[in-house]
Amino acid sequence: MSLNKIFSEMKSETKYIRYFLEVILAVTLILGANTISYGQDDLQDAIVTLSFIDNNEAKIIQAKATDQDGSPIEDLELYFYVQRTFSLLPIGDFFNATDENGIVEIPFPEDLPGDMEGHVKIVVKILESDMYNDLTLEMIKKWGVATPIDQFEEKRSLWAAAANAPITLVLSISGMILVIWFIIGYIIFILYEIGKIKSDIHTHFSEEKYFEDIIESF
Amino acid sequence: MSKPNIELQAFRTKRGKRLLSHLITTSLQYKLWIAFLLLLIVLGLIGYYRQLRYGLVVTAMRDYTSWGIYISNFVFFVAISLVGSLFSSILKLNKNLWARPLTRISEIIAVAAIICAAVIIIVDMGRPDRIFYVITHLRIQSPIIWDVIIISTYLVISILLLYISLLPDIALCRDRLTEIPNWKKKLYRITAINWHNHPKQIAMLRKVNKILAIAVLPVAFAIHTITSWLFATTWRPGWDSTNLGPYFVSGAFMAGAAVIIIAMYFVRKHLKLSKYISLIHFDKMGKLLVLLSLVYLYFNINEYLGPAFKMVGVEGEHITELFVGKYAPMYWFVQLGGLILPIIFLMFKRFRKPLPILIISIFVVLGAWLKRFLIVIPSLQHPYLPIQGVDESYLHYNPTWEEWAITISSFAWLLLIITLLIKLFPVIPIKKYQQGSEIVFKQNIF
Repeated sequence: MSLNKIFSEMKSETKYIRYFLEVILAVTLILGANTISYGQDDLQDAIVTLSFIDNNEAKIIQAKATDQDGSPIEDLELYFYVQRTFSLLPIGDFFNATDENGIVEIPFPEDLPGDMEGHVKIVVKILESDMYNDLTLEMIKKWGVATPIDQFEEKRSLWAAAANAPITLVLSISGMILVIWFIIGYIIFILYEIGKIKSDIHTHFSEEKYFEDIIESF
Repeated sequence: MSKPNIELQAFRTKRGKRLLSHLITTSLQYKLWIAFLLLLIVLGLIGYYRQLRYGLVVTAMRDYTSWGIYISNFVFFVAISLVGSLFSSILKLNKNLWARPLTRISEIIAVAAIICAAVIIIVDMGRPDRIFYVITHLRIQSPIIWDVIIISTYLVISILLLYISLLPDIALCRDRLTEIPNWKKKLYRITAINWHNHPKQIAMLRKVNKILAIAVLPVAFAIHTITSWLFATTWRPGWDSTNLGPYFVSGAFMAGAAVIIIAMYFVRKHLKLSKYISLIHFDKMGKLLVLLSLVYLYFNINEYLGPAFKMVGVEGEHITELFVGKYAPMYWFVQLGGLILPIIFLMFKRFRKPLPILIISIFVVLGAWLKRFLIVIPSLQHPYLPIQGVDESYLHYNPTWEEWAITISSFAWLLLIITLLIKLFPVIPIKKYQQGSEIVFKQNIF
């Protein structure tokens, strides 16, 4: 076998090896991607139960996290919020992780305004955990400070919606519009009447009087 | 082509010939003027097409300066529209007979200005197709709605004022002008609504004239006061003032009087009406302009002295910017060139002659326009609650060419409407006022 032939065969083998490696790499990548995706699907659903402890001293939100088997989940971060008008107000510490019994306790602030009767919506979340799926729990409790009827929304005011404009403003503006447009309407009516008057008399003026004209009486 | 017409047209008197001949003839100068205005209007339409196509982003208006020269221009137009009420109501009710020949010009300017004011507001809207939302989503608590209502009302009243004073003259044109195109004859016939100087018609017209002269006054005051409230009810330095209503109204009368003087000059010159718009009129208008400017000066002192004495916070920054900051050259030009110097010059009789008073009035009008710019823009650049980490470009406002083109074309529209109305109707009331005469309208005045 000549040296050239050997080199030529080596070249073609190298080519096959390269193809083979490329196929292996592609399969690995696809499988790898699938593995990651399977990994995400493998996240479990945690079970979080909320208890509300209200003694005279403080109001406590207690959350207990267990897995599907009922075993407590340790070191699971939970996020606690209270729903406000436009967004969620975080409460508790920055990080609130469960202990070895799967329990975490958060004191509820005493001074948060609620609705007319003091109801507030408490929201507890699991967010972006490595092992458990995201979860949101909502519970309405009468723990807020009762807030009387929202004056801004209910009362007639300058800043209310159109339907709740102050009566005095509505009446005064409507009155002014009516008065001035009544006058305009009356003038247009008179113009209409002027147009209806027929030319039944002909007054002839002398040449000297041509440029004598009206002087309005006002 | 127009020359034979005027030769064929028979006039019975010199007065008739002088006041009506411009309705028959069309000079080359007039055609060139119209062509020039149309050119400016086309440029504005190109700018407006771009604004509609790409949105308000083609303007320099951003989060801080959300009202630019469109709104300055709007306030200016509303201001000069007040001049109609000055002549048709205030001077008429006070029996200032000398002002009668100027009434028609003032009413024409008022109609043209209020039309342009209404249109420029629509231009300022990002989505003009939503104009009807203003009515369907009407909130009576909003000063903007008050403004919309009062502008519509004032537009109708201004048109009525002009029309009622024109009516006998239109009938005259209908009856006497023979050498005019058919469409003009038809226009006069329709708009004259069967007017034939019947005593009943005269009595009824006098009645509506009187009602309108009184009714226009509160509406005229309201239109500019409410326009000032658009600013006064917004919490910004320079606007947070109880002085703003009378400040705007007095400024409007001053600007309006100056616009009338400019119009007087050109109407007198081009229509050869020096017999009717005489030196006495320029003299009297000069004195009136001094009076109105003094009132405006008084309100200016009120407007700036208080905040400048206290120099509190953002209000102080605003005043500093006007007095010695980047707006100082414009501010002092407005106050000196557009207000104080005109007052001083016009106190001397020699400056109340046509040409000097024309130049002074041009300065007053220029100052009045820039004053509206100074009222709107610097205040917007100093909000009480600044945006955190605001984009540097928001702090400055330099109008784009589209804004300038649209603004200039709005002036072209104003002048076009005025020119066309003057071309279509007698600019000086044909009927002559002579104290003590019996109340008669002429069937034949020429």
